[in-house]
Amino acid sequence: MYDMLCKGCGHRTAMSIIDRIIKEYGIKEKTIVFLDVACCSLLMDDIEYDDVMCPHGRVLDVSRGYKMLRKDKVVISYMGDGAAYAIGIEEMIHSARENFDIFAIVINNGLYSMTGGQFAPTFTGIDRKNIDSDKSELNFDKVLKIENLLKSFNINYLARCALTDKENIDFSYECIKKQMDIYMRKGGFCLTELISPCPTNYKMTIKENIDLIDENIKQVYKIGEFIVK
Amino acid sequence: MKKILNGNEAFAMGALSAGVNFFAGYPITPSTDVYEFFMKEHDKYGVKFISATSEISAINLCFGASVAGGRALTATSGCGFSLMQEAISYMASDFVPCVILNVMREGAGLGDINRSQGDIFQMTKGGGNGDYHSIVLSCSSVRDCIDMPEIAFMLAEKYRTPVIVTYDSDIAHIKENVEIKEIKTHNIDSNFALVGSKDNPKRIQNIYYHDKNYDETLKNKYEMIEKNEMRYRSYKTDDADIVFVAISICERICMEAVNVLRSMGIKAGIITPITLYPFPKVAFNNLKEDTKIVVVELNILKQLRMDVEYFTKFKYKYYSINHMSKCPTVKEIVEYVKEI
Repeated sequence: MYDMLCKGCGHRTAMSIIDRIIKEYGIKEKTIVFLDVACCSLLMDDIEYDDVMCPHGRVLDVSRGYKMLRKDKVVISYMGDGAAYAIGIEEMIHSARENFDIFAIVINNGLYSMTGGQFAPTFTGIDRKNIDSDKSELNFDKVLKIENLLKSFNINYLARCALTDKENIDFSYECIKKQMDIYMRKGGFCLTELISPCPTNYKMTIKENIDLIDENIKQVYKIGEFIVK
Repeated sequence: MKKILNGNEAFAMGALSAGVNFFAGYPITPSTDVYEFFMKEHDKYGVKFISATSEISAINLCFGASVAGGRALTATSGCGFSLMQEAISYMASDFVPCVILNVMREGAGLGDINRSQGDIFQMTKGGGNGDYHSIVLSCSSVRDCIDMPEIAFMLAEKYRTPVIVTYDSDIAHIKENVEIKEIKTHNIDSNFALVGSKDNPKRIQNIYYHDKNYDETLKNKYEMIEKNEMRYRSYKTDDADIVFVAISICERICMEAVNVLRSMGIKAGIITPITLYPFPKVAFNNLKEDTKIVVVELNILKQLRMDVEYFTKFKYKYYSINHMSKCPTVKEIVEYVKEI
């Protein structure tokens, strides 16, 4: 399953969690997945639901247009951090401002991975070169933290999890399940961000990348539920 | 029922008669009346309306609504239309229908809100990246504005492609007394809509990814469009020595010039391409060999003339009356024709 992805890629874990939740809810027949381009698009032939490949960064708009005409469908907006927080930040802000019915999953690895690991606005500055050195000089304030941006809006769910070890993946499952519950019950803007390894572009083994997230990146990005309504 | 409407209002009424389900837009002069119409009237007619936060957002909302099976419409002008190109290119490659109204405004960049026909290159030759064309329909009267949305949605769904309707700001703001048509509702459960699947999921993605014969598919699509969808109007061209080619407001002026010239004994006629893409080359089939073709248009680069020359294989003598945004007068045209 999901063979086109690199070894250790977080997309595989994330999509498996979503698969499991959709199966549990029995909503496969009314689920449409809106995918962003780049690494997300590597899922497009493997996922078991109807899917649409959207222009880069426009997943939330395309999903909204769809949802406005078909309220009864489960619309999953699936994107990376580049789409969600760089090129598509406008859509993110306005969808949240209107608390529109959105079920968004953001895979955050801090990099533009498909093109070779260039830095996204979510990059913490911690990588292979400085992993063991003093990080006091890194400017973590420049990192885009979505909870700071969206807390002023009346949204229904916001959480951040990490796709690292079993404990964290179980927590991701709990969060996305709760997100689905809120989305199905009362709609509104629901987003879970998943901190994901990208061993290919961090140029590490899977284990090293997971340790990097657990020991360093999690200090910048707080894990947990920020808004639950 | 008859009503006095301007071109933009008529276009909105026409879209209702064509069963539009969804409108997303961002206001920009001279297309704003369409946006305002839907803002005020959407509840009354059961149309989903959303005030988008940019043109990029507007066209992508339409993309989503089209994927849902709806008849989606957006209206824009000038730089707003440029912002939409990425999504239009996506829709062309994904075989998603949509109708976009582009009320042309003057100049490049910001330009100005005056009348112009400067977007012809952009609309007919692509505008976005890659190997595609959008069907482009032009309107010359408020009557056309009422009728065109229905044709546009029909073509968009027949060929699963974005269709652009265009006119200049004179047609947008001219008021005429027109018969309005019955309002229709469109059922969104069409054959291309994504609704979720038990097995064999449907995918809306670039044709290059899922069609092994995409060369053939694309070739066939555009060949069929070019073969079947050429539309034009012609007036007194059978015996004409002088043939005007003009769209939108220029057609109206040339029409009068033809009558004036005929009264003076000069055999003039006019051809109006309704589809700018596919260009109606058949309209020129029965012209006399020594016909002089005068292209009257509102842009400096002679954008319409370039198509006329190419599709008539450069075999006539060509002349241009073109200004950036100042309408030529009937007198000016008649004087010019007398010179040649």
